[in-house]
Amino acid sequence: MTIAPPEQAARKYDLGFARWVRGNVVNGEKMSLCMQCGMCSGSCPIGTEMDHGPRKLFMMIRAGMKDEVFNSTTIWNCTSCYNCTVRCPRGIPVTSIIQDLAAKAVEMGYAKDAQNARFAKAFWWSAVKFGRTDERLVTTKYYYSGGLVDFFKKGLGNLKIAMGMVKTKRMHIGMPHKIKDTKGLRAILAKAAEIDARESKGGAQ
Amino acid sequence: MANQGPKSQTILVVGGGIAGVTAAVEAAETGYDVIMLERGPALGGRVAQLNRYFPKLCHPTCGLEINFQRIRKLKNLRVVTMASVSEVKGEKGDYTVSVSVAPRYVNANCTACGACAEATDMEVDSPFNYGLSKTKAAYLPHEHAFPMRYVVAPSAIGTPEADKIKAACKYDAVDLEDKGESFDVNCGAVIWATGWEPYDPEKLESYNYNLSADIISNVQMERLANHDGPTAGRIVRPSNGEPVKKVAMIQCAGSRDHNHLPYCSRICCLGSLKHAVYVREQYEDAEVDIYYIDLRAHDKLEAFYQRVAADPQVNFVKSKPASIRIDEEGRPVLCGENTITRELYEAPYDLVVLATGMKPAASEGYVPNIAMEQDEYGFLVPSIEGDGGIIPAGVAAGPLDVSMSVQSATAAALKAIQAVGPKS
Repeated sequence: MTIAPPEQAARKYDLGFARWVRGNVVNGEKMSLCMQCGMCSGSCPIGTEMDHGPRKLFMMIRAGMKDEVFNSTTIWNCTSCYNCTVRCPRGIPVTSIIQDLAAKAVEMGYAKDAQNARFAKAFWWSAVKFGRTDERLVTTKYYYSGGLVDFFKKGLGNLKIAMGMVKTKRMHIGMPHKIKDTKGLRAILAKAAEIDARESKGGAQ
Repeated sequence: MANQGPKSQTILVVGGGIAGVTAAVEAAETGYDVIMLERGPALGGRVAQLNRYFPKLCHPTCGLEINFQRIRKLKNLRVVTMASVSEVKGEKGDYTVSVSVAPRYVNANCTACGACAEATDMEVDSPFNYGLSKTKAAYLPHEHAFPMRYVVAPSAIGTPEADKIKAACKYDAVDLEDKGESFDVNCGAVIWATGWEPYDPEKLESYNYNLSADIISNVQMERLANHDGPTAGRIVRPSNGEPVKKVAMIQCAGSRDHNHLPYCSRICCLGSLKHAVYVREQYEDAEVDIYYIDLRAHDKLEAFYQRVAADPQVNFVKSKPASIRIDEEGRPVLCGENTITRELYEAPYDLVVLATGMKPAASEGYVPNIAMEQDEYGFLVPSIEGDGGIIPAGVAAGPLDVSMSVQSATAAALKAIQAVGPKS
């Protein structure tokens, strides 16, 4: 059995990172229960599409590898299938921890160019504005976030699919559909943000 | 306090496994009257189903036979098989225990000649071999059964096969009208040694136990390796009878897992190390991979671990496999992450052994409402408010290996003697 050498010779370690995750990430305190069995990484259907599996990510958090954790594809490529959460022998809500790590990565200025982060932002913009996702506007906004070249490349590349969707009435042209009470939705979201801010301030997790 | 002795000094032992037998024999040899109840048709329990003990790899039949000899010599020890307890009333020194005896359909005239088994073609799953083989509807529980007496499977009763079985018996031992019986026992103390059940591997959803005959549990491995087992002791692939070249053991299969048994059963690591020895003794070229979270070979058992680990064909993989799938050739394939090399693996095997844990039989409802509490896992703990008249022993009280069970049972025998007081 050979042990893989570290990818980089010199690394920055933030020794308070594990403590920070426990105190600030949703369900972060449950990460301490992890016994490194590998059930989560083995169960992940897209494990091969991630830099690190959840088990390794947790170990990296313990080791203080803050930059590597926040820059990893793991937190963005998680599809929220909850396989890891269901199977974890210690009952750790792995999915929810990974989801909030993604949110924290954006908050802390990481993942500026991560395409999943850009897509999530476009999705959220539409959800807040219309109370619905408008496929046309979400994709346009997402493609544009990658720069003008990317916008034309991706947009033209998918034009045929888009036309097909319009033809079969899977995507409509015209004013975006809205929910009836967008004001009410915004009030709900404002309240949620208020509760979130209050709780993270008080450290209640 | 009134200075009056206990009404009854009889000690009742519930359960006839290694702990029950030990407690009963130890208590009876000091002169007390002992009644031992066993739910099944023969004594010996799970130990009778083991092939060999760790770490010395000696055979359990030897120790059981010594205990059965002791039982035969004791006139003050009464053994009742097929018996279970339905109610316990009273207090220390004066318990009334209601016992119901299930029909065996064979009386004491039986000489174990085997004519009844030859007479019938009907077969039932062998409970002794954990379903790995079939047995005739009239069967001897196992080779060394005590009492040495046949049983008729309840499913045969009322069929023409039952009449064939009865007709074949020359000693008038088959009693198809047997309805069982129930009676009350008056006793001064009860030793509760109801033992354990293997955790059901079907509950380990992602391991697909039902999809392949080549995925077995550790208790089934004991039968597979036993000369009295389904293959006369040859470890082969149950699906096609071919020899095994690559064998995987999965530790903590349903143990230390909040979805299943949250605790460590203590015996499975050593059990799998022993199974690796079984395989390596039979095949010079076989490879055994033991998948583990951490290996718990405590105190003196460390030496056994070192002995097995010295074998270059026994490998240890630090990983809890996530799932088992079946490939095109029908072989089970283990999928997961090796946490040392940090690589995902998909490894096919000829035979996969799931090291499942011990579930207290008490959690299955074999305990009537008595002055005893169960911990969060179903193991029995003596009640703090209790008077000390009901004493748990063996695995009923917590996961133990055989030698620790025997110690626990001997301690329970002494406590029972203290509970009923000096022999009057």
